[in-house]
Amino acid sequence: MEKLSFLKRIFTGRSGRKIKEVITAYAFIAPATILIFIFGIFPVGFALYVSLHKWRIKKGDFIHLQNYVNAIGNLAYVVIFFLGILSLVGMYLLIRKIIKMARENEEKPWITILPGVLFAGTAVALLRWFYSALPEVLAIADKLRGLERSQELFMQLLGEALRAETVLPAWRTFIWLFLASLVVGGLVYWFWRNRRTMEYQAYFALIFLALGAGIGLIYYTFERVSAAYAAAFESGTDPGIWPQFISISAGVILLILAWVLWQRAPKGESKGGFFLHILAAAALLVGAWLLIGEIPTIVASGDEDLWEGLKVTVFFSVGTVPFQLAIGLFLAVLLFQKVPGSNIFRILYFIPYVTPGIASAAVFQQMFSNRQSAPVNQFLSFLGMEPQQWLFEPRGIVTLLGESLGVNVPAWAAGPSLALMVIIIHNIWTYVGYDTVIYLAGLGNISKEMTDSAEVDGANRWQVFRYIIFPLLSPTTYFLSLIAIIGTFKAFNTIWIFRSNLALGTTDTFSLTIFVEFFEKLRYGYASALAFILFGIIIFLSYINNKTQGSKVFYG
Amino acid sequence: MAENETRKNALKFSTQRNIFTYTILLIGVFISLVPFVWMISTSLMNLGEALGTAFFPSEFHFENYAEAWRRADFTEYFVNSILITLITLVGQLTFSILAAYAFARMEFPGRDLIFSIMLSTMFIPAMVFTIPNFLTVTWLGRIGPIRWINNWPSLTIPFMGSIFSIFMLKQFFGQVPDELYDAAQMDGAGHLRFLVQVVLPLSKAPLMVILVLSFIGTWNALAWPMLVTNTPDWRPISVGLMSFVTEAGQEINLTMAGAFITILPILIIYFFTQKQFTESIARSGLKG
Repeated sequence: MEKLSFLKRIFTGRSGRKIKEVITAYAFIAPATILIFIFGIFPVGFALYVSLHKWRIKKGDFIHLQNYVNAIGNLAYVVIFFLGILSLVGMYLLIRKIIKMARENEEKPWITILPGVLFAGTAVALLRWFYSALPEVLAIADKLRGLERSQELFMQLLGEALRAETVLPAWRTFIWLFLASLVVGGLVYWFWRNRRTMEYQAYFALIFLALGAGIGLIYYTFERVSAAYAAAFESGTDPGIWPQFISISAGVILLILAWVLWQRAPKGESKGGFFLHILAAAALLVGAWLLIGEIPTIVASGDEDLWEGLKVTVFFSVGTVPFQLAIGLFLAVLLFQKVPGSNIFRILYFIPYVTPGIASAAVFQQMFSNRQSAPVNQFLSFLGMEPQQWLFEPRGIVTLLGESLGVNVPAWAAGPSLALMVIIIHNIWTYVGYDTVIYLAGLGNISKEMTDSAEVDGANRWQVFRYIIFPLLSPTTYFLSLIAIIGTFKAFNTIWIFRSNLALGTTDTFSLTIFVEFFEKLRYGYASALAFILFGIIIFLSYINNKTQGSKVFYG
Repeated sequence: MAENETRKNALKFSTQRNIFTYTILLIGVFISLVPFVWMISTSLMNLGEALGTAFFPSEFHFENYAEAWRRADFTEYFVNSILITLITLVGQLTFSILAAYAFARMEFPGRDLIFSIMLSTMFIPAMVFTIPNFLTVTWLGRIGPIRWINNWPSLTIPFMGSIFSIFMLKQFFGQVPDELYDAAQMDGAGHLRFLVQVVLPLSKAPLMVILVLSFIGTWNALAWPMLVTNTPDWRPISVGLMSFVTEAGQEINLTMAGAFITILPILIIYFFTQKQFTESIARSGLKG
């Protein structure tokens, strides 16, 4: 009874209401957060784990970076090394930020280094526990085979798994570190009595994590390369990693240097600016030359399917995104002139986007059939051209064009296959309406005064569009191009429907390559490594897109 | 006089311009819709006509639809797809509404951190998740009381936590004025009642969009259902259509009928919701 009233008092006071609100909030977010954790965050760690193993349906040996080396050759070592360098750069930026923050507030936050280290250690310990517990927990399913399943049995096996001799020490370290960091963090908070204590602690924890990751990755690279050399030495071959390593690193560093110099060089016709521009150009040339010189070696040592998939994806992106955006913008500008019935046009243009891609792909498949009587081939005959094989045609469009003109086109200039062209057309057809609708919204945000005053000043319609409307639309263009590029790298469903053996894999984009490795060849570990490479490419592209377009985006 | 002349010229000019604009716009409509027209007209032909050069059927063979429906076993796939969609939607909407409300209107430690960690998963390509999630789902089915592979849990539960829905609803819930909450609190309503009785009725538009987008997403899903089903028991319509297209091969009048059957539900939903739909896409698209 007494206890109950005590509880009641906790929840009715002023701070009590706050506690109640916090508990309610956690209850509200719990289901979604747990699901997103299990199926959206945990899988990233799990995929990394799988990618470091030989894994064909069942888990095999731990093979370090072998899957990545199989995919992209020695480039894998270079990438890991640069990830380490990036961590260190991140650490440097964080330190600068923390110093600036301390100086601005005239504080000495150095005491929070202590809990920062402990929190970083806790995070590492948690990760270590996660990776030691994962195989034990996965093995429960095998232990249960043939037994009567019950909750008690599962809990018992789970307990055994978590108490295994590889798991328990990791768990203990984690708990001790966690308690220690809580105590130390609390003490620091108590003594220092500063609003920003938690912020400083978090920053220091991040700094130490970045430091650990940087040093760890760099050390790991060198250890792995030495191991590769040792293995090669036994079989009497030369893996040639170091020369490749050095020239790629030098190339990348020169490119970054060129970028930095170009940005720093004073604008205008000063002598120093001219000199810096020349220097930047030289760095760019040498860097690019070093990197281009390495490409054949990398391609030769990596997986052929992967490079082929990457090439197809690039064709797909380049063939889709610019056209889709241009047509969408053009239609949006026309529709924006308040023509009667513009709403109906908008509704109709949007239909391809909402149509299930699988069904519309099935329709396109028949329209672009290789039958002479299929609509597109009929149209070609109407224009007096030869009917084509379309989705069954692995030859490139430039090759086909050359053949009809009697020119022999070299293999490297073949271009996307005709089969891929059908997929590109279908993709443009699907997304033009979506781009139109979004561009229309963007046009609606441009103030009429601005275009009107330009017209009063004597600008013609093209000039108004070129110098006012188009620049003001740049955030929309940036957003749409990012979505579209990432979309082409992720595309799966329609390409899977369009896929035909006769196209000899010329329509298999990177996503398809991954799925085939996983679904048909059952190489789970290798497919996971490929998925991470795709992830890396998407991050890299978003970054480049942000750097090149983002700086020019005009957020009126 | 002179003024009248220029106005006339302007009118003439604008008529010319309008003709040009309409021509282009109509070409756009033609290209957007011609695949649908061709699909419907082919689906009504007999096989000989479908493989020939005719664009319109000489007589309408509506029995193609019955034939395609029977051959492709669409009844089972339709029921499966509708069940999968319903279960996913109920779970996803409930969980997303609750979470979005808490993220938008409540104070709790770690709110921004948790939200930004979840948001960052939006940029990870699905292929990274597919393999580990397949292993997880298999594992869950082997240890738990219910089957996951070839059963509804694997097709619905992983999609119930949707950061996209939470993000979209959060944007909207945040715009509900605070005065409304203060008034509700005066009347003794807690968060849950405020959410159900005040916020939700105000958010019909974004809820409709999430509903339609999730519906399309579930209707369209291919890679994941292919992985986690190997019998028709729980296979959705997308996989059903794909196998029918392969199986029916050259009988394109039947495959076109099948494609139209698959598209129709989505088209109906789109036409009923198109106003909210295009507007919300435009709004959320720009913010996303």
